[in-house]
Amino acid sequence: MAKKQVKKVTKKLAAEVDASAEVISRVRKSAKQITTSSTAEYFAKNLQQVGFSSPVKAVLTTLKEALDNSLDACEDAGILPEIRLQVEKLGPGTLKNTDQIRIYVEDNGPGIDPDDVAKVFGEYLASSKFGRGRCSRGQQGIGISAATTWAMQTTATGARVVTKTKSARKAFTCVVDMDLKNNKGILRDKGTVEWSSPHGTSIEFKLDGRIQLNGEGGLLNYIRSTILLNPHMTLHYEISDVPSASVDRVVNTVPVVPQATEPHPHTMKLGEFMSHARLFGRMKTSVWLKRGFSRVTDKVLQDLVSQKGLKRKVLDSFVDSLPDDEFKALFSAIQAVDLLPPATTSVLSVGEDGLALSIRRIGDIDFFAVLSRKPVICDFKPLQVEVAIARLRERRGEDNEEQVQVLRFANRVPLQFDKASCAIVKAITSVNWRSYGLKQPKNGLPLGPYIVAVSVVSPFIKFKNASKETIDASDELVEELRRALMQTGQRLSRYLSREHKAGELEQRVQHIEQFGPILVETLGRILGASDERKQAATAGLARILEKDTKGIKKDLADAEGRLASYLEEKKSRLAGFFEGLDQDEQFTGTDAAAPAPVKPAAKSGKGKV
Amino acid sequence: MAKVQQSAKRVAKKQSEIISMGTELCERMLSDLEKAKRPVLTATKCSLDNSQYSPKVGYLTPGNKKVSSELNVSSVKKMSRAIFMLEILLRNVEIANINTKRELYYVAKGLVKHETKLRPLDFQDQDESDSVIDFICEMMEAYREELNCVADDRGGQTYSKQLVVVETELDGTQSTIDLSTLGTAPYQPKNRPQNLTLRAKEKIDFCLIIESQGTANTLVANGFTKRHNSILIGAQGVPSNAVRAWVKRIQEQLRVPLFFFGDLDAYTMQNIYRTLRAGSAASLIRNSDFCAPEVKFLGVLPEDIAKYDLVDYPVKESDLQEARALKKARDALSNDPFFKDKRNKELRGILDWLVKNKRRCEQQSFISVDPRDPQMMEKIIIDKIKNGNYID
Repeated sequence: MAKKQVKKVTKKLAAEVDASAEVISRVRKSAKQITTSSTAEYFAKNLQQVGFSSPVKAVLTTLKEALDNSLDACEDAGILPEIRLQVEKLGPGTLKNTDQIRIYVEDNGPGIDPDDVAKVFGEYLASSKFGRGRCSRGQQGIGISAATTWAMQTTATGARVVTKTKSARKAFTCVVDMDLKNNKGILRDKGTVEWSSPHGTSIEFKLDGRIQLNGEGGLLNYIRSTILLNPHMTLHYEISDVPSASVDRVVNTVPVVPQATEPHPHTMKLGEFMSHARLFGRMKTSVWLKRGFSRVTDKVLQDLVSQKGLKRKVLDSFVDSLPDDEFKALFSAIQAVDLLPPATTSVLSVGEDGLALSIRRIGDIDFFAVLSRKPVICDFKPLQVEVAIARLRERRGEDNEEQVQVLRFANRVPLQFDKASCAIVKAITSVNWRSYGLKQPKNGLPLGPYIVAVSVVSPFIKFKNASKETIDASDELVEELRRALMQTGQRLSRYLSREHKAGELEQRVQHIEQFGPILVETLGRILGASDERKQAATAGLARILEKDTKGIKKDLADAEGRLASYLEEKKSRLAGFFEGLDQDEQFTGTDAAAPAPVKPAAKSGKGKV
Repeated sequence: MAKVQQSAKRVAKKQSEIISMGTELCERMLSDLEKAKRPVLTATKCSLDNSQYSPKVGYLTPGNKKVSSELNVSSVKKMSRAIFMLEILLRNVEIANINTKRELYYVAKGLVKHETKLRPLDFQDQDESDSVIDFICEMMEAYREELNCVADDRGGQTYSKQLVVVETELDGTQSTIDLSTLGTAPYQPKNRPQNLTLRAKEKIDFCLIIESQGTANTLVANGFTKRHNSILIGAQGVPSNAVRAWVKRIQEQLRVPLFFFGDLDAYTMQNIYRTLRAGSAASLIRNSDFCAPEVKFLGVLPEDIAKYDLVDYPVKESDLQEARALKKARDALSNDPFFKDKRNKELRGILDWLVKNKRRCEQQSFISVDPRDPQMMEKIIIDKIKNGNYID
């Protein structure tokens, strides 16, 4: 019996050991399955995070990334950009409800060295701008590689690139594919071709998508926005069935993107602070602090010792051999010491002249107001806000109760999606536009045939997502935007005030003409009065009501005076803009003096945005 | 019979007065215009800050404040509309034609649409034409009814087994209505109760005015008027001019005690009971003929809640209407001459209680005292009247 029991227990134990072994083997197997993925693989699976969340957005994002790259390249090389772009349908796409779309963008930029082509178009996070703290359009080096990935995924073709540098005799051409496993670009069909331009780059994608022309997320809105913020750009475009058109540049200087300033110590975290030290090799801590950061002076170093209790020897030690505890002490002291705010010299603006000239290219406008705020420090980062508001003549109408069209820009790149949560829209809705003469529902966007364009420029814009569609609405930023909008609103109100007064006068005169005869006629009828009495009463009424219009006539004269002096001031402020205008194109806000519609560009003359 | 003739004579005199007042007003305006002088129209200011209350008079009367309207660019439209509407009203008075406010709106609209020259006068909705009629009444210090303009009949449905009404029509024809012959159907008093003469077949003990028409109907269905020699009236919310003048008529001609029974809340106290008893600030010029100062407040009283174990509940301040009523009650406590008068300190006490306790109790809570007894409400009402449990 005992033996039997021992045998039973032994059997049970053996079964349990087997089960445990199986568990261990399963764990080992699963441990083996933990793998690492390349950056390219990650983005290939998450393209929606970088603007490829729908067929419509895929087309717009691809176009936007290609155009941004071209404009950045031209500006970096000091070249006035001349861009040609084409977007056309080729046939049905492979995905449901899509078309195969061809997107072609050609610039006159400096061209790309053939050795760099694979990196530029086929490798994620390969960027000449990442973390440099400049106000360039592109920053991380994700966008154009994501476009190549989308093209590969949907049509199994990469991006066709043709590029020519100034020194090359012929242009280099190839197709860029992506090796997602290794995050590398692969070049196929390499060769050379003759190219008439001395230098430049063209890129062509064939991908699945859908063309949306109109609406906030439409291609035409994107084109219109890009034209507004790039007065130095000439653009020739052919989009789907829209008549091809050309828009000439109105400014002949290339904007110089300011060099980045050194980082400000108060914007860093401890880890960043220590990593920053490693970039500088062997040098004294005091020298590193002065060279590696902005706003750190000898006086600041003295304060660190005398006021914040930092040991002198920390500053005299070599930074590469500083122990961690001394690094922490140094970091804490520098965070506590008073420093000047970061410099604002690293921001780039379009300027009021440029905006004024450019705004005429986006439609037939009645009048406009532009404003460039001075650069400020916002959330401890340098930032500049520019605003342009224009009234479109073509959309005018008494019953135009549509919301104003908002054009949002971050570092001169149009933002077209996720409007509601954007800092710019929050700022616009927080302003009381009624006081400037615009209609506005409570807590809503103002109404009317206006374009409200707001540009935020900063080397460090806080976006809400990787696809850079929305600017995070911090209180400080919204307040800065509000101020800019209110100042522009005040300028706009000069025109509207005059218009309102003129309207009021017209209404009063109409009132008199309409009601006067009815009143006299009815009184005469009730009393059975003679025609002579009625005529005398009509004349008397006219005299009474004439007196009433005197006040409003005076108000109108005052409003006209205020507008005239504002226009004088505007002329001196926007000398560059008014120089080239004819006498009858002075944008006085009156129909009589309104400018002629923008002329189509001479090259194609087929249309305008 | 003599009384009836007297009443008809008074109306006829008023009509000729109205016509002469209207033509005088127009004459003044036309001659001012001939001299290029701005016509000025002056009216009594009808607002609480121009209201006075004396317990001896019993209702709100106007003070000395006047509002003037001068012809200018801004007022020319209003004045043109007023004179246009005055012409229609004067013609109605002249030919003894009566129109409702709604009819006048459509009459005016039709004329305006028909005649191109008159288009600028067009009324967008009835509110616009109503306010023009009110403006004319204030200017002439006349009742709307005297201009032969009446509102749609609303409220005042009356039940009684003892009351007889004699109505004299504009042409002098008389009709006699014995309310006991109507069964449980009500008698609907007309918009011009001044043309009615009242008589009691038997002694009437009291008249009960109930805020809710439905509750009045229920009481009658349960036999209230069979058991009690009384008049029962459903006010149907804020009393219309017709209801106000009808109750005044009962007060003057029958000399019976009048009781008001309604909800215990600020709105009922100010907008319904106060209007019925002392008139309103908006109708200062006609309160003398449109209120019954002898109406007593039977309840619901705050002490009834404990006494009869009534179901009450807190006022929802998040409810815009209730919050507004409370705010208005606070204003009334400090500004309304009716509630400020020391003779009305008990009514003021109720308003004060409502503001402080923020609770309310519906008239229908009397039913819930014993839901199995359909006569419960009647029993409590009679008990309160017998025991003098009301505010005079």
